[in-house]
Amino acid sequence: MTSASKISLNRRTLLCGAASAALMPVVGFPRASFAQEDVVKIGFLAPLTGPVAAWGKPGLDGCKIWADWMNEAGGIEIGGKPHRIEFASYDDEDDAGKARAGATQLIRESDVKFIMMLGGNSWPGVEEIAARQGMLVSTLLPSDLTPNTETLIAPCEVHPIYNVTGVDWLAANRPELKTAVICAQDDALGKPSVATYLAAFEAAGIEVLGDPLFFDPATTDFAPVMTQLLAKNPDILCLDTCYADYVHPLCEQAFQQGYKGQIISCTLDFYQRIVERTSKEFMEGVIFQFPDFDDKALNDPRINFRKPNDFYAEYVKRYGATEWSAVSWEYSSIMDLWADAAQRAGSVEPADVLKAMKEGGKGKHAFGEARWWGKDLFGLDNALVGDWPVVVIRDGKATIAEFRSIPDWWDKHGPLLIKHMTDLGQMWSQRT
Amino acid sequence: MSDFLLQTAFNASYAASYMALIAVGLVLIFGVMGVINFAHGELYMAGAYAVVFFYAGLGLPFIVAVAIGLVFVGCLGMLMELALFRPLRTNPLGGLIASIGFLLMLQTVAVLGFGLRNQNVPPVSQGRITVGGAFLTYERLYVILATVGLLLALWLFLRKSKFGWALRACAQDREAASLQGISINQTARYAMFIGAGLAGVAGALTAPLVAPTPYMGHTVIVTAFIIIIVGGIGSLEGAVLAAIIYAFVHTFVTTFFDGVIANIVGLLLMLAVLVVKPQGLFGVRERA
Repeated sequence: MTSASKISLNRRTLLCGAASAALMPVVGFPRASFAQEDVVKIGFLAPLTGPVAAWGKPGLDGCKIWADWMNEAGGIEIGGKPHRIEFASYDDEDDAGKARAGATQLIRESDVKFIMMLGGNSWPGVEEIAARQGMLVSTLLPSDLTPNTETLIAPCEVHPIYNVTGVDWLAANRPELKTAVICAQDDALGKPSVATYLAAFEAAGIEVLGDPLFFDPATTDFAPVMTQLLAKNPDILCLDTCYADYVHPLCEQAFQQGYKGQIISCTLDFYQRIVERTSKEFMEGVIFQFPDFDDKALNDPRINFRKPNDFYAEYVKRYGATEWSAVSWEYSSIMDLWADAAQRAGSVEPADVLKAMKEGGKGKHAFGEARWWGKDLFGLDNALVGDWPVVVIRDGKATIAEFRSIPDWWDKHGPLLIKHMTDLGQMWSQRT
Repeated sequence: MSDFLLQTAFNASYAASYMALIAVGLVLIFGVMGVINFAHGELYMAGAYAVVFFYAGLGLPFIVAVAIGLVFVGCLGMLMELALFRPLRTNPLGGLIASIGFLLMLQTVAVLGFGLRNQNVPPVSQGRITVGGAFLTYERLYVILATVGLLLALWLFLRKSKFGWALRACAQDREAASLQGISINQTARYAMFIGAGLAGVAGALTAPLVAPTPYMGHTVIVTAFIIIIVGGIGSLEGAVLAAIIYAFVHTFVTTFFDGVIANIVGLLLMLAVLVVKPQGLFGVRERA
């Protein structure tokens, strides 16, 4: 009996102990504590599945790191009180209809104060609700900007305008390259980027052979596309802003069809896989625009992104090195800007944050001081533009070659860009 | 220019090869069982994922992974016959609807098991044949050679073996075949194994070239239907010839113009055949 009662007691103790242990993370650890009302919710509305997921999901993963670090440090201080940041995500699958449903849910049910989007194909679904609610929304694609939605901002990526820096650098460093061909998927992302590359090549004195090749986004076999491009015998093969699912087979086909010239691309997500499927020699010197954040060049004092190397290390630890994509850091850098503006405004209300963010016409972009710009191209100055890195593959690894100024290029060649944007129907007045 | 044409011909030969495998499988299933198998694209996808799992994941030799893909997807086909098509044999639309349901199930299983992202399959070989200025990689050559071998084996099987005769008899007239003592259930089961296995092996062979996704079946099923309509529904020879014609037309138009125009030309080709020869190139005119 004694023994049985002891067992019973022990079991109870064990159960109590287990229950306490289970509850410890919820109630027990002191750290930063937040009252239930001291939570600010941020909406993340981007493709988390489908062919464009590479420009959504890795960004959400990066935001989780950002939020963990921010909350561990006490959250953001609004009106003297610490606030915890939480993300509410919705997979818009790069589809306008789903984005509309997502925006409605995020605003009405999750009560978010700010929505981050990839933009492009999904933006038309959100435009009306954002304007009606006065919701502050960010896009990675400033080609979404129009004067109709003053609360839409492009505070991180001025896609595709930064592509001019890659061409500019290439022309300065490899002046012997005189001809180029361009291909892109025929969609809202491909066309403005083609216009930008056309302007950049013209400014650099590089001849584009034939018309740009716009391929069907449903293409699965890229051999014919590459055969057509290489038939023109170009010095430079420009892959524009193709999705990762297209860049990989395009590079592979270029390799398999014996191309030995220069490749330039806007993105080169998961480039390690391309190196694996081609060769280090083939990929040597490929130019694109998105660095790995373990790059020591990002420790330069002018860089505003906090602890980029640590961020990259944490990202690799959590998700793996091959999961790093062009957007892994971008949404987090937008959150840096938002948090800074919200703290200065003493409010998380969209109008207050936007006002603080644009104060003085300048802002702290991830890659240095930048200015709010875009009236000539987008009808309003809601794009934050400054320097942008030119990234080169060296010995199988992405390396920042140089930071180049987008505003400097614009000051010299702005009319060229407007001309090509107009020719392809990509000016804001043509899109609305 | 000759290099350019040769390169395009190489590209087209590869496309014709894997599409012929898929279309012949689809025709076989339709011919023997009278079922339009909408899940055929997903059987192709399942074959590709077999390679993702066994070759890219477990590191088995590529040829072993392809063989597993063939058998695994063939067994999936037999399961479909047993669980879906046989109970619905008397319902003309039942098999079609059931195959759509099965399609969604296969996609979901792939998403749950492997995620939504494109899968990276390491290259089998980086070698290539150079003819003039045109290149044919070994990976694409393997697909072409395997297709020729498999289709030849299938042709011999159907023409020279008793079981092949039984399959053809069922395809011609199921009831008459049954009266001759041919087991319809057994014939249907093996037809599904072969038809599904061909789609599976096409997916497995092309997996290193296409970066598999759970939704990769969509594109091929549309093309496969165009091919079997052009070739003549129920005709294996027609499917092979139509695959070659379609692939060459599509690839050359893509190369000289672009892919959207190529899709339109492909549909126009189908329309033209339907107008001139409604039963397809090798199809048999139905008796009134």
